[in-house]
Amino acid sequence: MFNSANLHSPRTQALILLAPALGAYTIFAVWPMIEVVILSFQRWNGLTADRAWAGLDNYRYIFTDDPVYWVAFNNTLIWTVMSVIFPPMVGLLLALGLNEKLFARGTMRAIYYLPVIIAPIAVATMWRWMYDPFFGLFNQVMTDFGLQSLIQDWLGDRDVALYSMFVAFTWQNVGFSMVLFLAGLQSVDRSLVEAARIDGASRWQVFRHVTLPALQVTMTIVIVLSTISSLKAFDIVYGMTGGGPAQSTQMLAMWAFTQSMQIFDFGRGSAISVTLLLITLAVVVPYLRWSQKREEAAR
Amino acid sequence: MTTVSMVQLEEEIVRPRRDPLLIALWVALFAVALIWIAPFVFISFTALKTGNEIMTTNAFAPPRVVAWDNFSGAWVKGNFSTTFFNSVIITVIKVPLGLMFSAMAAYALARIRLRWNKLLLVFVLFGAMIPFQVMLAPLFTLVNSLGLIDTYIGIILPYLAFGVPYQVFILHGFFKAVPKELSEAALIDGASHFTTFRRIFLPISLPVLAALLILDFVATWNEFAMALVLLQDKNMWTLPLGLMSFQGQFSNNYGQLNAAIVMTVLPAVIVYLIFQRYFVSGLTSGAVKG
Repeated sequence: MFNSANLHSPRTQALILLAPALGAYTIFAVWPMIEVVILSFQRWNGLTADRAWAGLDNYRYIFTDDPVYWVAFNNTLIWTVMSVIFPPMVGLLLALGLNEKLFARGTMRAIYYLPVIIAPIAVATMWRWMYDPFFGLFNQVMTDFGLQSLIQDWLGDRDVALYSMFVAFTWQNVGFSMVLFLAGLQSVDRSLVEAARIDGASRWQVFRHVTLPALQVTMTIVIVLSTISSLKAFDIVYGMTGGGPAQSTQMLAMWAFTQSMQIFDFGRGSAISVTLLLITLAVVVPYLRWSQKREEAAR
Repeated sequence: MTTVSMVQLEEEIVRPRRDPLLIALWVALFAVALIWIAPFVFISFTALKTGNEIMTTNAFAPPRVVAWDNFSGAWVKGNFSTTFFNSVIITVIKVPLGLMFSAMAAYALARIRLRWNKLLLVFVLFGAMIPFQVMLAPLFTLVNSLGLIDTYIGIILPYLAFGVPYQVFILHGFFKAVPKELSEAALIDGASHFTTFRRIFLPISLPVLAALLILDFVATWNEFAMALVLLQDKNMWTLPLGLMSFQGQFSNNYGQLNAAIVMTVLPAVIVYLIFQRYFVSGLTSGAVKG
């Protein structure tokens, strides 16, 4: 097929260049996405050859009979709202501060970004140990400051566990937003800032009327990326609480995994996955459209 | 503090436009940075303390007697020689290979005129946004049906697949911006696209490739969810799986547990500290443009 005459055609060359990446991508990323939809309409334990058609049974089950689905759904919702608000907000504040010419700002940037590069599963392990009710960091420090009354079983109390987990998540992810905002701040027009200052604008006014509008694009990107990454929260849940206590930290990605890979109900697990996939698409598709329009406008 | 940084500090402070607000800002940023780095200090100190010392001394007190044997103990108990080896093999094969494939595809999409270029690009970019955490079960089913569970290739292929979209996205943007004259001259001289790609496009994209290489190294080194599903045999586990199992079994041996955390995290931290600037450029070149 690839004789020398053919190799001269740009089309053949393109195919050869595209094949490895697109092949792997189609088989191992796109196909599973299609398969998860198919599986969600079937009854299957993952082992036997028997994959019976189940219609909408799996969906009916997770929506009406599954005691955990809506708990996981709610937790995912709370988690997403919190991760869209807090890490980007702290990240923005840090970026604004570290954009000034300050002593050791490079070192401080590096420190804030350091947790981002650590395996989420290691973050989970670290923080689980720091939350240890007896010898962990938090309760030790609180005792040192005479705050014994505030001591909690951080991951063992169902009212607190989700938020304890979120603190660890924030610690890890603030640096990511910070770096994106720092990059965005480079696009703020210096001369415009200086002109405003000379005209007597206060720092707040400069921020409100010059910096903030210039950061709008970055803001959208950070918020979309935070939403997507919060929807797929898995490692940190698995490593810190496994969804407990009493499902109080259960989330959709984790619950889909549990149904499929631990309870061996691939149909129900996949139905949960599909709902999560649809939620993700509802964020991703408008975003891709928006960024494509922006690209075209930039040309 | 070295003398150099002290001089810098003086300059900053003595500077005519010394601003109380900036000083307050610096103090606040510095205080928060201390909080941010505190967990690392706590983990490292605990990793070097004996069990007795952990229970009796302050969390931020440096170890009195350095208990190096926490590390050797954890290394043996946690089967680190196996998991470390597996992580190295998988990362060393996957990262360069994946980057090569992505660069080839990105070149074809950016520089060879095809009718379905745009469609293909959207098809690939779409994947960058889709969480693989949603597809763990079908991924297991697929790899299982190919008989590749518990093999290197069975985990490397999915890793490749999920690395492609982001890398193609970044490299496509880069290749697209290369001036036409550069490649057309070569093509008119009769060079094939392969030659043009290798001789012209790869060399000029080295900084971008380096940034992507570092980012992908860390992502692959840290990956947990797919490995959890696709590597069931203890002897095939990667470092994150090993750490997770260590936590499950020996969570009461605090010294060794923290030594295990340090050993898992350290390679990525070292790479980060050496190649810091690449992280930022790799992340921002794609996400934020002007």
